[in-house]
Amino acid sequence: MMETLDGTEWDVVILGTGFAESLLALSLSRSGKRILHLDKNDYYGGDEAALSLSEAEAWASRFAEDAPQCRFSKASVTKPAASEAEHGNQLSSSRAYSLALAPHIIYARSNLVPALVSSRSHSQLDFQAVGSWFVVGSSADSSQVQQRLIRVPSGREDVFQDKSFDLKAKRSLMKFLRFVAAYEDQPDVWEGSRQLPFSIFLEQKFGLPASSHEPILALTMSQASAGSTSTEHALPSIARHLRSLGIFGPGFGAVLPKWGGLAEIAQVACRACAVGGGVYVLNKSIKSMTPAHDDSGPSLELSDGEKLSTTWLCGSVDDSSALRLGTNATPSSAYSTSRSISIVSSPLPSLFPPTSEGGVAPAGAVVVVPSSDASEPPVHMFVHTSDAGECPMNQSVIYSSIAMPHDSGLPHLERAVASLLGAVREQPSPQVLWSLRYQQQHADFEHSLMNAQEGVIVLSSLSCDLVLEDSSLDKVKIAWQKITGESENAFMNFDPREGANDEDD
Amino acid sequence: MTDSAATPAPKPSSSVKLVLLGEAAVGKSSLVLRFVNNDFQPNKEPTIGAAFLTQKCQLPNRTIKFEIWDTAGQERFASLAPMYYRNAQSALVVYDITKPSSLVKAKHWVAELQRQASPGIVIALVGNKLDLCEDDSTEDSQNDENAEGHEEEAVRKVSTAEAKAYAEEESLLFFETSAKTGHNVSEVFTAIANTIPETSLKGPRAGAGGGTQAAISGGQDSSRVNLTARGGDGGAKEGCAC
Repeated sequence: MMETLDGTEWDVVILGTGFAESLLALSLSRSGKRILHLDKNDYYGGDEAALSLSEAEAWASRFAEDAPQCRFSKASVTKPAASEAEHGNQLSSSRAYSLALAPHIIYARSNLVPALVSSRSHSQLDFQAVGSWFVVGSSADSSQVQQRLIRVPSGREDVFQDKSFDLKAKRSLMKFLRFVAAYEDQPDVWEGSRQLPFSIFLEQKFGLPASSHEPILALTMSQASAGSTSTEHALPSIARHLRSLGIFGPGFGAVLPKWGGLAEIAQVACRACAVGGGVYVLNKSIKSMTPAHDDSGPSLELSDGEKLSTTWLCGSVDDSSALRLGTNATPSSAYSTSRSISIVSSPLPSLFPPTSEGGVAPAGAVVVVPSSDASEPPVHMFVHTSDAGECPMNQSVIYSSIAMPHDSGLPHLERAVASLLGAVREQPSPQVLWSLRYQQQHADFEHSLMNAQEGVIVLSSLSCDLVLEDSSLDKVKIAWQKITGESENAFMNFDPREGANDEDD
Repeated sequence: MTDSAATPAPKPSSSVKLVLLGEAAVGKSSLVLRFVNNDFQPNKEPTIGAAFLTQKCQLPNRTIKFEIWDTAGQERFASLAPMYYRNAQSALVVYDITKPSSLVKAKHWVAELQRQASPGIVIALVGNKLDLCEDDSTEDSQNDENAEGHEEEAVRKVSTAEAKAYAEEESLLFFETSAKTGHNVSEVFTAIANTIPETSLKGPRAGAGGGTQAAISGGQDSSRVNLTARGGDGGAKEGCAC
């Protein structure tokens, strides 16, 4: 009894249900506009989807090819042979997992947080604390190389209690932390060192010993190599980290959305648009687009031949090549990231010390494995407990990434996971029960693409960054303003809906 | 309110996400309207898209706040339901006891939920419009002839025994209700609230406005961060590292 879309007219057609497209749908959910939201996949979330095990395996075979120009490529799933798997802790059923293709941390100062609150979406989401940052270092003082886990001190008290720094180093570190808190006011200290590698800056200006550089660099979340992480990039990142601490409670400054990261936010956003009357159709892509002419907007032909017209067509560059028709869009830059998702047979409790006495239990930790070669990028790992809703109790999920093409990056990821599992010093040693590896390509397009064609708004896809950047939401706001013509303080600013008595607010 | 000495400790409160599924015009929205507002609209317009409502249910030892996602029965492109049953802890699958095809559709929904939804989801099968069947509705005596705009003589077409046997086979809660008279409506929600395992209950979303403790509810949900509790303990020390 399915209806047809043939001959229908819309105010806004949105292609794809990834993070940016879904937030656009949320922002338009009270606009009274006729919205059609399509996705070529049979699941929500697009490039930011959260998948069960069987969905992830199907996804991997879809993106198994060596197609470097595609958003995802070289995907594969590995499992230890049944005989290798330790008895006791085995994989659970497929739906016990919800694995995020694009795990991100969201700092408390992110512009997303107030937008979720003012759009009343936060009450349908669960956020959890990302507690500690760690660096995996090797103490190679003897012939035996021992991996060890160094917790990054994240505030003044932490520094005082840290036994790995001597008094002089502690003083220097305190001085540095005080500086970062207000670095904008002290340009004389750093302006001259903008392009300087950050570790050289730390040594020259603050006399910080080399042993402290890796923990400090870890707070930048920079995916560049230590040698190419410049002072002007590092300072704002560390300031963001420090300024986010304590906002939602003592002892942490970043959060993650439960149940699969940004996928969950995208779903909540789509639901809000559906409640507002938006029409949702999965499994539908567009075949071609006729550009706007005279007074009529773009018209579309869908994969199964249905034709429809719209005033606005919005979607990511990746979502449909049709959006690129006539624009000759070529990326201004492109880079590849190698990623893996590993399900581990232990909850890895040593990575999740309490955020503070009586405070929230952290569900996420960040582990950085710096390269011994300053010209090679580090491996970043997000470790999530079962509290994050992505795996069953007594297991955990490690999301790893390195800013390298897959062929050279994957061995780094595997070594990093192995060294982390060794460095936690658990008996029996935790095992990887399942893992998905893939390459993610990100292409930056000139901003002019947004105005390439009348009636067409191209939303750039999320970068491979590990931290959700404010620019992601800013771009949605620009698209929303183009469509509605409203002033920006109306963006994501909604009254409570009738019937939804949120007296708790 | 003034008797502070006798103020009992507040009951723990948990949110439960519930999704309503079923064929068009079986009375899904009417069931919710009866539960939330204790009201009934005889000629209710069909739901467009979806609706979201909340209602509390008091149990002896805790308060359950239902977050109810009401989907349109005449879902046009079969694409909405997956985003609603994702992470739902409970589902109410509704059919019309005067319309056998609606039970067939209900069985499809149950199968889809068992295949796709959260493994521990609590499903209630509900046969609605009990008021239309004079023969066996004992409690509900006043029946309008043309209730809910039915033209033909509405009589029971799905026997209680048949639906109940199916529900038992699939381990579903089972009720026959009348959104019109209110018969059994609150019982459905109470039964769902009682069936949800304690371990899967989450704390109140969006905090209860009680300072930092609101972010942490009764041990069940010690990992939840309250985004509206800006400031945290000891006042917001912005850039507090220094």
